[in-house]
Amino acid sequence: MSYQDDLPETSGYSPTAVAISAVGGIVLALVSVWWAAGTAVFYEGLFRVSPTVEGGGIGTDWVVGNTVPWLDFLIAFIHAADVLMGLFILLLVFIHWGAFRRLAAQMRKADEARGEGVATDGGETE
Amino acid sequence: MTNLDHGKFTRVTTTFHSLLALDVFLLFFTGYSITFNDELWWLLTLMGGNEGVTTLHRIAGFGLIALIGFWMILMITTDTGRSNFTEIMPGGDDVKAFIQDVQFVLGSADERHPNAKQFAGGDHDDIPLLSYVGKGVVFIFAIELFLLTISGLLIWSKTGLMQYFATKTAAMAFVTFHGLLGVIMLMGVMFHVFEHGFHPAFYPVEPKAFIPRELIPETHTDGGIEALELAPSWRTVSNVMGVLTVIGIVGVMLGSVFDEGYPVPRELAVGGGPESLLLTIAINAGIFVLFVGLVLSMYGNLLRVRWERRLEEERRQPTATDGGQPDDD
Repeated sequence: MSYQDDLPETSGYSPTAVAISAVGGIVLALVSVWWAAGTAVFYEGLFRVSPTVEGGGIGTDWVVGNTVPWLDFLIAFIHAADVLMGLFILLLVFIHWGAFRRLAAQMRKADEARGEGVATDGGETE
Repeated sequence: MTNLDHGKFTRVTTTFHSLLALDVFLLFFTGYSITFNDELWWLLTLMGGNEGVTTLHRIAGFGLIALIGFWMILMITTDTGRSNFTEIMPGGDDVKAFIQDVQFVLGSADERHPNAKQFAGGDHDDIPLLSYVGKGVVFIFAIELFLLTISGLLIWSKTGLMQYFATKTAAMAFVTFHGLLGVIMLMGVMFHVFEHGFHPAFYPVEPKAFIPRELIPETHTDGGIEALELAPSWRTVSNVMGVLTVIGIVGVMLGSVFDEGYPVPRELAVGGGPESLLLTIAINAGIFVLFVGLVLSMYGNLLRVRWERRLEEERRQPTATDGGQPDDD
């Protein structure tokens, strides 16, 4: 009946075994890296000097050099736009996620017999 | 019945969409491995460090200007192009479609508004070329790409920019502006990938963005969504991708607040430590969503090639009994 009928039968692996092995592999990788690098996984942050603006470090002249108020405003504005648009886009994601779940509920499931629930004229069946 | 649905776009449009996607993905991967270098250090290293990444970013930027120029000229000089301007104008129906989508999710509307429907099914006539989201995407992406191109050109040569703005801080401000501006598009593209990759009727990709309308028979779809079979993996995969999309959007949104780099952070070692592990995971989740988008774009083109071959074979065998195409030649 199904397209798989004439394929050879093999003894596979249970999904649980596959999932446990996958988790095991990831844990092993994490422990290995942890052992090799300790807590300093983010190696690029290690040897940084932190000359602060307050301390008159390298960054100071950049701050002092900032004399264009409208550029400052532009950046404050775009920060606000990022957050506002981000929240709106999140709303759209949730709306579509919800809508997709409702639409999926209207579709036939894989184990339903073909033809069931299909109106011949494409009309609603429920 | 397949999930092919009605065709919408011309071959030029679908090809342009694929090229623009490739180019924009490359711009995202290079640009945001600079902006979020604390979180995406591996991506920065993978693409050749600072120099490699900025070179690739400039090459992709050049490609983007060429693509935008091509599209603007095509839209203005051709009848088909000019007719698109009326199709993309948002109207009252689009606002209604948004409100009805909210009602649909909450259960107080039975179906989505025609201006929100991605799957047309049997009734093609009342489905507009672009949904309300599609129109929003066109407008926001057009504004974003225009401003990103202008600010990108301004910071192409920092010393050149400093001729106009006396200080290097001002020049850096434009770099920051450029990066922060793209965040909106970055979040938008994550949503775009989710919207068009994980609609249950089209999962895992919406073919009409890749297969030109001229290749999709109008008679192909003759039923509603309830006639389609839901892919068994849809529920799990769409949930995982939904979660990753939300985490990715929240990640880059928060990252844009913390990792701005202007005027100059109080301490040079911004983030990058175990204390920002959550932000690192979130931003990487976002990059993963974009990577899935890139793969799905490739897959969409693979579907197009396979569909073209199938049509060609059907044309060679005019005795097709399953509703094969009448020969147009």
